[in-house]
Amino acid sequence: MSNATLPAGARDPGYPTERENYLTNSSGILSWMFTLDHKRIGLMYLIGVMSAFAVGGLLALAIRLHLLDPNGWMFSGAEANNIYNQVFTLHGAIMVFLFIIPSIPAALGNFLVPVMLGAKDVGFPRLNLSSFYLWVFGALFFVTALFSSGLDTGWTFYTPYSTTTDTSVILATLGAFILGFSSIFTGLNFIVTINTMRPPGMTWFKMPLFLWATYATSIIQVLATPVLGITLLLLIAERTMHIGIFDPEFNGDPVTYQHFFWFYSHPAVYIMILPAFGIISELISVHSHKHIFGYRFIAYSSIAIALLGFLVWGHHMFTAGMSSLTTIVFSALTFTVSVPSAIKVFNWLATMYKGSISLTTPMCYAISFIFLFTIGGLTGLFLGTLATDLHLHDTYFVVAHFHYVMVGGTLIAFLGGVFHWWPKMVGKLYNETHGRIAALLVFLGFNGTFLPQFVLGSRGMPRRYATYDPEFAFLHQLSTFGALLLGVGLLYAFVVLMVSLVKGRRAPANPWGGVTLEWQCTSPPPYYNFERPPVVGDPYDFHNLEWDAENERYVTTEPERKLVPESTPEEVPVHAGGQK
Amino acid sequence: MTFPTLLADTNADFWFPIQGSSFAEEVDWVYDLILYISLAFFVPMMAFMVWCLFKYIKARGTKAESQISHHTTLELTWSIGPSVLLVWMFVQGSISFLDMRTPPEGSYDIGVQAFKWGWTMDYGNGTFHPELHIVKDEPTKLSMRSTDVIHSLFVPAFRAKKDIVPGRYNYMWFKPTVASEKISDEALAKLKKQNEGTTWDYDKVHTIQTEDGERELQVTPEGYTFFDLYCTEYCGKNHSEMQTVVVVHETQAELEAWIKANSSRGPIPMEEWGELLYARRGCSGCHSVDGSKLVGPSFLDLYGSQHALTTGENQLVDENYVRESIIAPKAKVVAGYQPVMPSYKGQLSDDDIDSIIAYLKSISSNAPTQPAGAEAESEEESAE
Ligand code: HEC
Ligand SMILES: [Cu+2]
Repeated sequence: MSNATLPAGARDPGYPTERENYLTNSSGILSWMFTLDHKRIGLMYLIGVMSAFAVGGLLALAIRLHLLDPNGWMFSGAEANNIYNQVFTLHGAIMVFLFIIPSIPAALGNFLVPVMLGAKDVGFPRLNLSSFYLWVFGALFFVTALFSSGLDTGWTFYTPYSTTTDTSVILATLGAFILGFSSIFTGLNFIVTINTMRPPGMTWFKMPLFLWATYATSIIQVLATPVLGITLLLLIAERTMHIGIFDPEFNGDPVTYQHFFWFYSHPAVYIMILPAFGIISELISVHSHKHIFGYRFIAYSSIAIALLGFLVWGHHMFTAGMSSLTTIVFSALTFTVSVPSAIKVFNWLATMYKGSISLTTPMCYAISFIFLFTIGGLTGLFLGTLATDLHLHDTYFVVAHFHYVMVGGTLIAFLGGVFHWWPKMVGKLYNETHGRIAALLVFLGFNGTFLPQFVLGSRGMPRRYATYDPEFAFLHQLSTFGALLLGVGLLYAFVVLMVSLVKGRRAPANPWGGVTLEWQCTSPPPYYNFERPPVVGDPYDFHNLEWDAENERYVTTEPERKLVPESTPEEVPVHAGGQK
Repeated sequence: MTFPTLLADTNADFWFPIQGSSFAEEVDWVYDLILYISLAFFVPMMAFMVWCLFKYIKARGTKAESQISHHTTLELTWSIGPSVLLVWMFVQGSISFLDMRTPPEGSYDIGVQAFKWGWTMDYGNGTFHPELHIVKDEPTKLSMRSTDVIHSLFVPAFRAKKDIVPGRYNYMWFKPTVASEKISDEALAKLKKQNEGTTWDYDKVHTIQTEDGERELQVTPEGYTFFDLYCTEYCGKNHSEMQTVVVVHETQAELEAWIKANSSRGPIPMEEWGELLYARRGCSGCHSVDGSKLVGPSFLDLYGSQHALTTGENQLVDENYVRESIIAPKAKVVAGYQPVMPSYKGQLSDDDIDSIIAYLKSISSNAPTQPAGAEAESEEESAE
């Protein structure tokens, strides 16, 4: 570690021994299945959600290929429309329930929350493992539904269609119900962990913003998900016992179902996007090597979004026939949520200004996030405004809008996060050039897929159509070619990561120059993370980091923070008669 | 296959189909307002980001020029400042919305029944038709109901949309401002000839000789150009085929003439009228005529056959039974099917039902070969 340009006292944790490395400290399949280590659970989640994403992604490609031709290209025969309906339903249900909701909180959050807190694990490690198994179990229900009589209700399960179709609604809703519990448990665990296990020096406003975002997300998960559970149970009861709440044939009201459903599912949108905001705040700051701009505004806006998010569910139902007053109130409330999101984007841009930007792969994703999410957010204004929503509701404009938020936002942030913390998680560096090319392909492919859909929508193309009028063909074809490119880009990114496992260079503890705690333990971290809770300061203070060109890593020059007094206290306190 | 023609709806711009109703202008205006405000933010923001990338990408290890952590005034400005614009959008949107909500007194009222997967418009006095025919510059109100699941009526050219929820009536209104054109009778006759023997394809683009030269048009079987009407709430298998068209007549008199022409059988033979009703009144969504099983039993060889009911009894399909099946479908339910057929009580006249029966007979090999009484006439007529 001799480097002439480095000031004396530069510190680096070095590398873990095989005995310490959380990946290798015990082996065998059982050591993974019964592990209580949050990092292993996070990694298993990562594999799980990526598999779900692969399935959902293939279904998406099938959708796009079918829409290559106005009369349907991919599926043919008398059942073509039915197959298409099942495919888009499963695409939506898998992506929402199995991928996006657990992606960042459960996979990355599990790995990062305790390490960022300098803790050894989450508050309730066993609960953590059980939420992983609930996820697996819920996923199995979905797969069973898929292989029995399918599901054709759309991921929203609107009544009375869902109470009358003869596909496996009950299996699928049970699956979603179980996944809900997985989500609640994770949320609960994080709330407790963040509240009680912060290390000395980490006040609320010294927390990394990723933790703020996770905290806000967890609040929504715990408060909103039970409503989904109740809704789904009522749906099952309506289907089996005709209790007469949602089905007009038994004096129920289908719009009541929509209120119930969106009361959860709108906040769920923020379960999906808030963690993404957290990731982007970290990425932009670290790769610009500059203090995050407006820390407090960003932190408060996460909480504001979490709370306001509960008040806007009605904007999914502007055309359903609510009273004019209700409709207008929901429109007004909807505009209020746009403010905190806008604040974040401004702050990220300001963080880049006068920074020292490294255009690494994660930074490429962060930039692409800002571009795509801004489009996603701004197009939301068209839908929150009543006059235009009446025209655009349930058209491809909506499809494009929420894909810009959920894919352009959450997925891109997730990828950025995976590339950012990959060296930490597996201890290997990937090839930067190829990583960047993949990010570019994903960006181009994504825009190719979804930009044309805005035009399709405002020109009147309804969503969830297996076939369509010939005047829409050209834009649909553009979109399909975009989707193919997007598919290639994602596959490329995946290959880059896999190759790194085999051929990647060993990762140093701090390859990017981050100040948050995860960069202060080895890559990969030891199974115990930190011997004792580290003492921390500002998570975005980059003054004391130096680039060590010889070893291609960042090292800290800050003297180690210690708790005073350093000496171990006497076993018996002085006032109780102990020796001074 | 160039971009503009494939996007073609007459005189449409890049974002929108033709402005066919009084709402269209308002909605498009609000849309443009939001669009330009959004661009006014988006473009500078992205330009700033790209500029930062050019300016501040540095070799690794370079320290940032500044470590400024916040600037409260600046942040408050950009948090609160844009809210003014949001309020503007909200107010404009809500004003137009209230307009679109409240139908003017004395609007022309048309009943709409949505079902899986089709539409029946009720013009009063027993006249039903799947196409929506209305009058230019006449505020028209739709009273809509559904007998099965939620549907939603959307006319892109009118920028108007409303869900149709079973168990309640939902209403919408609009004032069309552009009339449909009608192609010449010769041109229509030619088209009819070309398409003989096939079901009419509304989406097909025909090259038609008109007064202003050759034009590419989509037309109804009666030769009108039209606006598309879509179902926009997912409603099952053939959701994407739940479409019909809106034809806007120039004057009230024209519309009335059209209604009259479609109100009853008139001179055409019963069988043919029965077949028309089969297609127009949505029977075709649930009953095939080629023997395949859809939601309901096929009509092929149905008449005169025998089958079991859910009660276990055996039932001969005769005139009375068919009549009962149409008026009170839940009274006797065929074994192996769900009781989902809506009742057509009061919606089909006696003559209509007789015509359907005549049509069922004509496609059944079980039907008695010597028809008696009234049917004999129609058999003869159609034989001519
Ligand atoms: C929503 C779907 C649906 C529509 C629309 C529909 N039906 Fe039916 N129909 C059914 C079903 C299901 C059955 C069998 C169950 C029953 O008997 O009620 C049936 C039964 C029948 C039967 C008795 C068949 C038999 O095998 O005994 C007749 C006749 C009939 N329908 C005529 C019509 C006519 C005429 C129309 C159009 C004016 C029509 N249906 C529209 C679903 C439909
Ligand atoms: Cu429908």
